[in-house]
Amino acid sequence: MATIRIENAVKKFGDFMAVDDVSLEIDDQEFVVLLGPSGCGKTTLLRAVAGLGLVDSGKIMIGKRDVTYLPPKDRDISMVFQSYAIFPHMKVYDNIAFGLRMRKTDKQKIKGRVEQVAELLHIETMLDRYPSQMSGGQRQRIAVARALAVEAKVILMDEPLSNLDALLRLEMRAELKSLLAKLGATTIYVTHDQIEALSMGDRIAVMQKGKILQYDHPTRVYDRPSHHFVGSFIGNPPMNFIPATIQRHDGKLVAKIGDFIITPDDVMTAPLSTYDGKQIWLGIRAENMEALRAPADDALAMTVSVLEPLGSMNLLTIHAHGETLKLATHPDFVVKPDETVWIRFPTNKVRWINRDTGHTIAPDLAQVTA
Amino acid sequence: MTTRNRADLPPEQRRALRNASIRRGGVYALAITLSLWILIPIWLIATMAFSTPSNVRSFPKPAFPSPISTDTMTFFINAEGILRSTGNSIVVALLTFAMSTLIATPASYAIARFIFRGRDAVRLGILSVRAFPIVILAVPLAVTFINFGMYDSIFSVALLHTALVLPTSVLVIASVFASVPFELEEAAQVFGCTPFQAFWRVVIPLTLPGIAAAGLFAFVTSWNEVFGAMLLTLTNRTLPAQILFSLDKASDPFKFAGGFFMLIPSLIFIFFIRRYLFSMWGQVTK
Amino acid sequence: MKNQKLLPYLLVLPTMLYLVVFFAYPMVSALGLAVTGETRYLALLDQPDPTASEIGTLPMQTDVTVTDRLRAEETLPNGRTRPFYWFYVTGVDVNGDSITGWVSQQNLFVENRTESVMGRINNGTPVREWTMSHINTMFSDFRFQSAIFNTFLMIIIILPIQFLLAIVMALVLQARPRGNGIFLYIFAVPMGISDLAAGLVWYSIFTQQGFLNSFLVSAGILDRPFIFIALGNDGWILLAIVLAEVWRATAIVMVIVVSGLQAVPTDYIEAGQVFGASLWQRIRYIILPLLRPSLQVALILRTILAFQVFAVVVAISGGDVFTVLSNETFRWYDRGDGGYNNPNVASAYAGLIMIISLAISFFYLRAVRTQEEVAKSS
Repeated sequence: MATIRIENAVKKFGDFMAVDDVSLEIDDQEFVVLLGPSGCGKTTLLRAVAGLGLVDSGKIMIGKRDVTYLPPKDRDISMVFQSYAIFPHMKVYDNIAFGLRMRKTDKQKIKGRVEQVAELLHIETMLDRYPSQMSGGQRQRIAVARALAVEAKVILMDEPLSNLDALLRLEMRAELKSLLAKLGATTIYVTHDQIEALSMGDRIAVMQKGKILQYDHPTRVYDRPSHHFVGSFIGNPPMNFIPATIQRHDGKLVAKIGDFIITPDDVMTAPLSTYDGKQIWLGIRAENMEALRAPADDALAMTVSVLEPLGSMNLLTIHAHGETLKLATHPDFVVKPDETVWIRFPTNKVRWINRDTGHTIAPDLAQVTA
Repeated sequence: MTTRNRADLPPEQRRALRNASIRRGGVYALAITLSLWILIPIWLIATMAFSTPSNVRSFPKPAFPSPISTDTMTFFINAEGILRSTGNSIVVALLTFAMSTLIATPASYAIARFIFRGRDAVRLGILSVRAFPIVILAVPLAVTFINFGMYDSIFSVALLHTALVLPTSVLVIASVFASVPFELEEAAQVFGCTPFQAFWRVVIPLTLPGIAAAGLFAFVTSWNEVFGAMLLTLTNRTLPAQILFSLDKASDPFKFAGGFFMLIPSLIFIFFIRRYLFSMWGQVTK
Repeated sequence: MKNQKLLPYLLVLPTMLYLVVFFAYPMVSALGLAVTGETRYLALLDQPDPTASEIGTLPMQTDVTVTDRLRAEETLPNGRTRPFYWFYVTGVDVNGDSITGWVSQQNLFVENRTESVMGRINNGTPVREWTMSHINTMFSDFRFQSAIFNTFLMIIIILPIQFLLAIVMALVLQARPRGNGIFLYIFAVPMGISDLAAGLVWYSIFTQQGFLNSFLVSAGILDRPFIFIALGNDGWILLAIVLAEVWRATAIVMVIVVSGLQAVPTDYIEAGQVFGASLWQRIRYIILPLLRPSLQVALILRTILAFQVFAVVVAISGGDVFTVLSNETFRWYDRGDGGYNNPNVASAYAGLIMIISLAISFFYLRAVRTQEEVAKSS
């Protein structure tokens, strides 16, 4: 059983807090993505699990073993490095066989395993070559092959696709996903690319400034971000955030954008009660707003400034009351700049964000960090 | 692609092309002149080394040995103490090569990989050693060796030479280590190596040429060194010391053959090391 | 895993230890050798009795006046006795004071034990003390001035030539003419040549029956061979040495310059070309300033090495006719024939060389640094 459990991990570099009291639980055979911008601590955390940069305090358990201070070779892990770290002085065969050789596996077994893994990654014809003769994409496959060959319980991946060109990245993403699903290993995957995260992870841990902001399934992270940062980091285009004021109107608490009123669902009444008179953000995704060509009572008038026809959708930049939003519509919805559109905000898709802390205001969203 | 005839081009372009080829020609001529400046003296002494002793003493000197003869070289090699001191020189150079490389490598690794307090002081200290001419080092070492009963031994010469080349070796090998990404060592550690095994299996194979270059440099420096060797030895001389010692009584054939004999390792050595020279010194100037 | 902190120090230890033992310690003791000496002092006693107390001490070789004497007897191992004398003497000690006391005859040289009124102290206990005598010997040696003069002259002449030549060679290599690899090898060959071999090579050219004379006579320019290397022909000897050193040691400067050049991004040079700079302007305004750190290192290194020039001088001129500082250092140390076997004065020379090289390095660092700092602050 290869569950991974990180308890209160802390790592500082001088005065810089890279990992700030992080706790995380990963189930056996789960594929977890650590997602965040550069400097958020995701790679530091991964390396701590690998044993390549020990934590200052906290605990790391793999299965039932406390591995916090064990050297990498004793942790039964495997890793794919961002720069691949393929040994230039060894042939492809020897690179892939390296981990098996260090574990003193017998020669026949090594041969069988190396060929098997090389076939999986379509490099079985290149075993006799040197890495310097191979392209970046091929070297990446060697790195993955080396990691898979040892059949470790835990596989760690540090931005393995980031050095590939866009087309290759697309291909490898799908390949990797199917490969790893068949393996049955627990995987931690670090990336700054939110599309990769959404596509590959069973669960995503979104990190910022050394802390995990949200740890949940991709659809929930996308649809119900726990934090302003998560909403803006995930999704392309990012979630829109509109400042609004909570006020009493006809006895109910509503959100007001200028004179425009949005009435929250009943479930929100209780959580919003403490925000009476305060400014909050309304979060809503570009594709969740309804665009109308004619005025309606429950729709806000906004002016179009740019229309980008992206093929599968039209991306409109619209503004009103000094706020700019991105709106995604069906490609047939055509308007011209300076025209007016009327926008409906379906309340089931509106998210309510505390402006001071950035946290989402909600009754049922739990901050999953451990 | 169609190439235009030179004559069809407007005069301005023709002139520019002509200037470019004049410049190319000029560079080439300069390169050849400089090469001749370096090669001709070597040629001249080689001529002497391979002429008969009587031709060596003749005047005016010929530009080409006729007949080509190994008599002069043989005379030199069989002269008193030459063979023995050549052997001594080889032993001393080998010792220097081995000792300097072995002692320098751990320090180089520390400088290349670790950031530790005092690292800059260590580098500065090592650099400053090279600011002192061997002249001021050899005299006190000689006195010390006498006090410890180690005078007139080739081992003490090797110790002096090692002290001389150690700083260069440390800095050069450190730069060679630094050129290997640390991630390679980390990958080896993830896949089952202890830190030392990772160093041995990954860093060493990749840096062996550079380390060998530094070692060769140490070898040749030791082979060529004459001042310290003169000071430290009386009967167990190294080759340059023996030659220098014999100079005032030596004949011309001896001198010329000796000079040429000393040259040979340099020619061979530089041939093997030439690629590394520039990266070696590039790092060291930091 | 916490002993990771100790690891770098352990790795560096062998090197630092070696350098302390074989470099730092000898250097310090050399400086000590240069300024300390051993003088023997004899104690004057207040009674003609070996157990009497000391009045004062006189250095060995001091002349004294004998004002009294006492005849005593000593017993030999075989039982016989023989006379020996105590002398009451007066002499001037190191402080200039007059001291009077008794000394026994084994410690005093007199021509006649019973009659002499003058004597000389010829014994004493050795004492280490500071002394300027070695340094004085060095300064007053008749060769000292020419050694210093020649050394500096050599350096002043050789260094600019070498740097110019090295920069030219480096630029030629950068221009990548056809056959670049061969030129690279040829230009670099002198790096492995010892100064002894280089000296012998140029000896073969400048010697009386050497190649230069061969050429001059064969070409009819001279009737007879000219004796370039002779006492009094300092100019010609200097020329031969300069040529030998330039020939041999330019390579090392060139290598440093090439490495420095390689670090100059071609973008800068191309920008210069686009904005109209000629070759000379590009060299002067773009390349040379960016080369400055490399040149600085090369300058220091080369100057230090120049002080080491030894075998070239001996190979070309034999060491007596023309001398430099390192040659003098060797001569004073030399324990063979013709050497003075005086490690103290040799150390004084070594110390002098060290001070000069340190001062020059410091000066170079200062001179170049100030310009950079000026550039940064403006």
